Amino acid sequence: MSAVWPVSRAAVRRRRIQTLVIGVVVLLSTTMIVVALGLLAASSGPFDQAYTKQHGAQLLASYDRTKVTDAQLTDAARSAAAVAGPFGQATVDVNTGGPATSLVLVGRADPAGTVDRLNVWKGRWADKPGEIVLNRNPTDSTGRGTPTLGSAMTVAGNNKLTIVGFAYSVSQSADAWVTPAQMTALKPTSTQMLYRFAHAATNAELTAGQNGVTAGLPSGALIGTQSYLALRAAAAGEPNTFVPFLMVFGWLGLAVAVLIVANVVSGAVVAGFKHIGVLKALGFTPSQVMVVYLGMVSIPAVVGCAGGVVLGNILATSLLTRAFENYGAEGIGVPIWVDVAALLGVPALVALSALVPALRARSLSAAQAISAGSAPQSGRALGVQRWLGGTRLPRSVSLGLGLPFARPGRTALTLAAVVLGVTSVTFAVGLGKSLTTYQTAASRVGAVDVTMFGGLKGNGPPPQGEGAPPVAKLTDAQDEALLRSTPGASSVAASAEVPMRMVGASTDLRVSFYRGDFQQVGFRIIEGKWFDGPGQVVVSERFLRQHGLAVGDTVVLQAQDKSVRVQIVGKALYNSGDEVLSNWQTLALVAPNQRASIYEITVKPGTDLDTYVSAVQAKDSGLLETDGQDAGSFVTIVLATVVLLTLMLGTVAALGVFNTVVLNTRERRRDLGMLKSIGMTPAQVTVMVVTSMVALGAIGGLLGIPLGMIAHRVVVPAMANGAQVEIPSFMLNVYPASLLALLILAGIVIAAAGAYVPARAAAHTTIAKVLHNE
Amino acid sequence: MTEDVGNGQAVVQLTAVRKEYGESVALDGVSLEIHAGEAVAVMGPSGSGKSTLLSMVAGLDRPTSGSVVVHGDDLGTLDEKGLALFRRRRIGMIFQFFNLLDDLSALDNVALAAQLTGTSASQARKRALELFEELGIAGRRNTYPSQLSGGERQRVAVARALMNRPAILLADEPTGALDTKAGEQVMDLLLDLNQIGQTLLLVTHDQQLATRCASRVIEFVDGQIAGERSLERTS
Ligand SMILES: Nc1ncnc2c1ncn2[C@@H]1O[C@H](COP(=O)(O)OP(=O)(O)OP(=O)(O)O)[C@@H](O)[C@H]1O
Ligand SMILES: [Mg+2]
Repeated sequence: MSAVWPVSRAAVRRRRIQTLVIGVVVLLSTTMIVVALGLLAASSGPFDQAYTKQHGAQLLASYDRTKVTDAQLTDAARSAAAVAGPFGQATVDVNTGGPATSLVLVGRADPAGTVDRLNVWKGRWADKPGEIVLNRNPTDSTGRGTPTLGSAMTVAGNNKLTIVGFAYSVSQSADAWVTPAQMTALKPTSTQMLYRFAHAATNAELTAGQNGVTAGLPSGALIGTQSYLALRAAAAGEPNTFVPFLMVFGWLGLAVAVLIVANVVSGAVVAGFKHIGVLKALGFTPSQVMVVYLGMVSIPAVVGCAGGVVLGNILATSLLTRAFENYGAEGIGVPIWVDVAALLGVPALVALSALVPALRARSLSAAQAISAGSAPQSGRALGVQRWLGGTRLPRSVSLGLGLPFARPGRTALTLAAVVLGVTSVTFAVGLGKSLTTYQTAASRVGAVDVTMFGGLKGNGPPPQGEGAPPVAKLTDAQDEALLRSTPGASSVAASAEVPMRMVGASTDLRVSFYRGDFQQVGFRIIEGKWFDGPGQVVVSERFLRQHGLAVGDTVVLQAQDKSVRVQIVGKALYNSGDEVLSNWQTLALVAPNQRASIYEITVKPGTDLDTYVSAVQAKDSGLLETDGQDAGSFVTIVLATVVLLTLMLGTVAALGVFNTVVLNTRERRRDLGMLKSIGMTPAQVTVMVVTSMVALGAIGGLLGIPLGMIAHRVVVPAMANGAQVEIPSFMLNVYPASLLALLILAGIVIAAAGAYVPARAAAHTTIAKVLHNE
Repeated sequence: MTEDVGNGQAVVQLTAVRKEYGESVALDGVSLEIHAGEAVAVMGPSGSGKSTLLSMVAGLDRPTSGSVVVHGDDLGTLDEKGLALFRRRRIGMIFQFFNLLDDLSALDNVALAAQLTGTSASQARKRALELFEELGIAGRRNTYPSQLSGGERQRVAVARALMNRPAILLADEPTGALDTKAGEQVMDLLLDLNQIGQTLLLVTHDQQLATRCASRVIEFVDGQIAGERSLERTS
């Protein structure tokens, strides 16, 4: 084998361009694969991952302190796999200067432990009385009115606490934490215990676990529990909408990568046939020849793969961390199996795609090999070229158009790469557009300009005294009139939210009752109509699916003691399955004295929002501005991924063309030299070579665009269906003619960009050098 | 320069060799013996089967029928690997277009042939350098083929062919791509080699090359031997 290594090494060293192309294509492909698989793997269980990372509580229980002691609880908890607590717990009123709320406060000495390891993502943990750590999702939007680090809040009447940190608990074990000493001072009303069990995959197992840890406790000691299965069901909502989209993209990236790697590698081997013949004539055995070729492509492939794994991990980790930090799990990475699979799989794939041509090289008769490399088979090409020569095209263009026919196999592979590249770009652009349109519509981002909060309840006299939460000073009707009459207002919708239940279903619903300009708040009706009389509601697709209902059906909603029969008159575009929209006439049947708590306002163009809000607050200081809807980090992540993968696919496709042109011009340098020797200018040579690839790009565009559009048409609705959302058909019409033209142009640009550099290089080699070298 | 086969013994023995490429017949019942120390030139019109004959002798391709025995090895009994080993040790080939590996320096191109037989890289370079000196191209040893002149390239190719002291040196139009002066240098080189005992089989269109280097000229027409004459060499 002593002769094999220097030949492989020299081939790698001297064939810098091809080596580089293989290296870069493998690098980018591996990066794509790692990102796609990483997202795929992680997105299948971000909640579980985060939960595992934090050792989240599988059961969270509150006990009555008057009925059970801490010692009894600790003793009873021995059947659990892991326990945290007992912690003192109290529900306290809080005044942060914002709307009045209450907090579940827990006394905890440190954020670590065996269960519910908190992620203190900002500031630090509370270590002395007077300090408080808030439970906040790091991705929650921060707007005016949200508490900041170092600010003070007043809880339970008159206790001033300083916010020293923000932590996040996936288990949602509390709204805020203080030191145990501070908790004692606040007089805890209940005791919190956090459990993990050996078996907790199902509700039945959890119940068994719960029975174990409460056995022997006084009756009535257990006040309430929260199961992680319920949290998980809730958390799955948004990500599940996007996981299918990510999966499709991951697989698409994988397929394109495979094709292009195979193309580049077999191109390199095919180009080496003459070289193979020489090696054989020298006495290399067939197997040695094969090893030389595998080695030649393996060196850059292994280096590219290693680099791609590193790059893919960096990208995927940053995407994943951003995507899933709302589970409080920072530093969620690519699972190790993805790295291992990529490190073993990609070089194996490269070797496999090289193996077929390498085997062909192996079995090639040496006598044929020596003559095969230099002259492309021209039988088929001649007819086409003669025909092209007879057309009125400039000779350099018609010669260029004939070039792809000289190597039909290579041309087909290059074309396939361009087609798949254009298909992916088309699909990606469409996917991105559909997703953004959908998400913007579904989350009503930017639909209203200002949202004002008017206090929760309040038909009686507003609460008085220090520390009382600010509430609207005026009546509901006065507030609405104020908002409408303040200069700049264009529309005002008032709403009240009432927790209700649907008879026969176990889940809680939030019903928003609207009056005023509710058609302006951004909901889009996709079936049926808006409510226009009492006893009517509008719901989401997910709601209908989860309850097996359809527009036109009648259901009964309950709130405390009242129940009301309502008809589903329409379906609106939004994601939530537990949110129901209705009107003020219907609210009158449920809670006739309720005032509106939220006012959603749109303003005329050019209105300054701050001026508007100040003008309103000058008349009613109790009206507070609250955060509007936020797009959700997932769309950003998906779009970033789509853009990234699209750019990579475009680059890789261009490299595929680049490689083909390098091979073609290298093979044909004698022809090119001859053409120049008979008077073709370098510019004409460049035109000729670029033309050959531009034709390919145009064909690639024409084939790839419909494929991408079909993929988009088939995949997006199917995936939306799986995610229990409906994407109305207008959101699928994302390909205007101008975009299609742009996409065809993309195919041509990919091809021309890949072809230009080697074409120019070929055009500018001196004739003497070319002819001398053969 | 050959090892155990002395002058007068048959180094190459072709018996009724026929080679077909699909419909066309490249060699049509060729029988031929070449003895150690001989210099045989094959001449004939284009397409008459001269290159095919060299491929048969070098074991680059197999005859459709008939047998080829070179230096005692019946090539028909060898598998692909056996043929490769045979080429390494028994055959030296030079081509019209040199067929050097562009990726390797001149010296490494030559050393490679010895490395194939298991010689260490340093030993192989040493022997290659000796040959370079003998062939008068030692100054060009670190140059890559694309920077060499045609004559220099052909001398590198000759050096590579001689590396393993082949039983027979096969040359297909060795001067075909060279100008008169470079061609003459290569001719002289081949003649010198033959005079120190190297068996030579060369294909050429060049009457002068044939008469100057060869002791026997074989005429090919349509894949058959059409005539044969022995020559008094002119130099
Ligand atoms: N690999 C091949 N496939 C098909 N036919 C071949 C092949 N190699 C040679 N031939 C045919 O065999 C015949 C003899 O070819 P060969 O190359 O031996 O001729 P030649 O005498 O060397 O000609 P030239 O003087 O032009 O080099 C020709 O008709 C040629 O077309
Ligand atoms: Mg020939």
